Amino acid sequence: MPDILVQYEAEIWLSIGETFIMVGASIGAAILLGLPVGTLLFLCRKGEVIENRLVFTVLNLLVNIIRSFPFLLLVVFLIPFTRLIIGTAIGTTAAIVPLSIIAIAHYSRLVEQSLLDVPKGVMEAAISMGASVKEIVFKFLYVETRSGLVLGLTTSIISFISYSTIMGVVGGGGIGDFAIRYGYQQFKTDLMIYMIIIMIILVQLIQFTGTTIARIIDKR
Amino acid sequence: MIKLVNVSKSFSQFKVIKSVSLTIDKGEVHGIIGASGAGKSTLLRLVNLLELPDQGEVEVNGQKLTNLSSKELRRARKSIGMIFQHFNLLANKTVYENVAVSLELANYPKKERRDRIIECLQFVGLKDLIKQYPAQLSGGQKQRVAIARALANNPQVLLCDEPTSSLDPNISAEILGVLENINKVLGVTIVIVSHEMEVIKSICNRVTVMANGEIYDTVSTEPIGIHHIDKSPSYFVEQLAKAGEMDDA
Ligand SMILES: Nc1ncnc2c1ncn2[C@@H]1O[C@H](COP(=O)(O)OP(=O)(O)O)[C@@H](O)[C@H]1O
Ligand SMILES: [Mg+2]
Repeated sequence: MPDILVQYEAEIWLSIGETFIMVGASIGAAILLGLPVGTLLFLCRKGEVIENRLVFTVLNLLVNIIRSFPFLLLVVFLIPFTRLIIGTAIGTTAAIVPLSIIAIAHYSRLVEQSLLDVPKGVMEAAISMGASVKEIVFKFLYVETRSGLVLGLTTSIISFISYSTIMGVVGGGGIGDFAIRYGYQQFKTDLMIYMIIIMIILVQLIQFTGTTIARIIDKR
Repeated sequence: MIKLVNVSKSFSQFKVIKSVSLTIDKGEVHGIIGASGAGKSTLLRLVNLLELPDQGEVEVNGQKLTNLSSKELRRARKSIGMIFQHFNLLANKTVYENVAVSLELANYPKKERRDRIIECLQFVGLKDLIKQYPAQLSGGQKQRVAIARALANNPQVLLCDEPTSSLDPNISAEILGVLENINKVLGVTIVIVSHEMEVIKSICNRVTVMANGEIYDTVSTEPIGIHHIDKSPSYFVEQLAKAGEMDDA
């Protein structure tokens, strides 16, 4: 192993850990809240089973607004809100708030798009069989879109990694922050390059895993 | 069994069904025929309220569907099977699982599900394919799965929207044979929408002719049997020969 990596080993592991916490929390938020929001966006559309113009318009607008913020500005803008929830706006835990919010907005849009690909006829079959909204979602929609949902989550996770690199501004740490503080600001270019390599490997692994799972569960 | 009374349906000002009344008796195989855009599918979809009528009443099996709460309607739909031109199977579920969904929705006793699924698949002649996914099946096989799914929960009525229109003629005949069996053996009332006269002639006892959102006429017919449309290769050769003669002329 190159000397410089040995020298900074402890800090590198720490920042990898911070990245995992931040990205992990984003994934949690995406699944627990992004998936339902995306599903609701789809179901409330015109002509869909619980068509609701108000809910659709509000959710749609919210998702658009959050996604149109440059992420750095969103982080700054959310500082008071973060402080309200976490008690502080600084640190890895606090970084989870803006990350989760962008994660929900990001993934919900991909979920909505996946669901839009379900053939109309499958929805009709579900309704004609007397399925309730919950049954339509779990026994039809998620079954038919499962590979799209996995691919969407894969894309989202890779964006979350990218978003997490910005969290240094609020003391969130992480690999990206480490690369900037040591590699860029202290002119240790080789260290920066190693960090970038770690990121590339991470992204490749995630993409490979996501694509493989999606392919295996896709029977279409 | 099925009673539509002065039912109307518009899509954004455009009147697709114009105050139609129609009664279909228990045990009938009722055909609905007409040109494309006549409103056949819409009329069929009004029977299980896949389309809500603007006016009029829909009664199936002694129950006024138009008066039901959404929960009661869902319950009623479980005894009205439906099959479609494009099958509408779940692509990510096996043949077995596709049929199982219908029983899950109906809360069919868990212990009896497996037997029932096998029984239905046997009825449509598919029991060797239970582990296949729809993508591995031919069109005719997919329609058989759809029929098994519709049949699983012992429906009183089976609604068929162009069930054979995307199938080859000889496969069409097979599917019509299955439907005929369902009517004769299980006593299920069947409504078939089609734009093909041969489909209608082969198995229907009564036929409703539609044009421009209205019923032109309803007539009783003697089903001529599916063998008449069992188009063997020789049929096509004949047709080709005829076409050839016309070219020569
Ligand atoms: N969901 C819909 N929205 C708007 N127009 C529709 C809809 N469904 C059917 N139509 C229109 O209603 C007419 C009748 O359609 P349909 O019942 O499908 O006819 P058929 O099955 O006889 O070909 C057509 O002009 C069609 O374009
Ligand atoms: Mg039609």
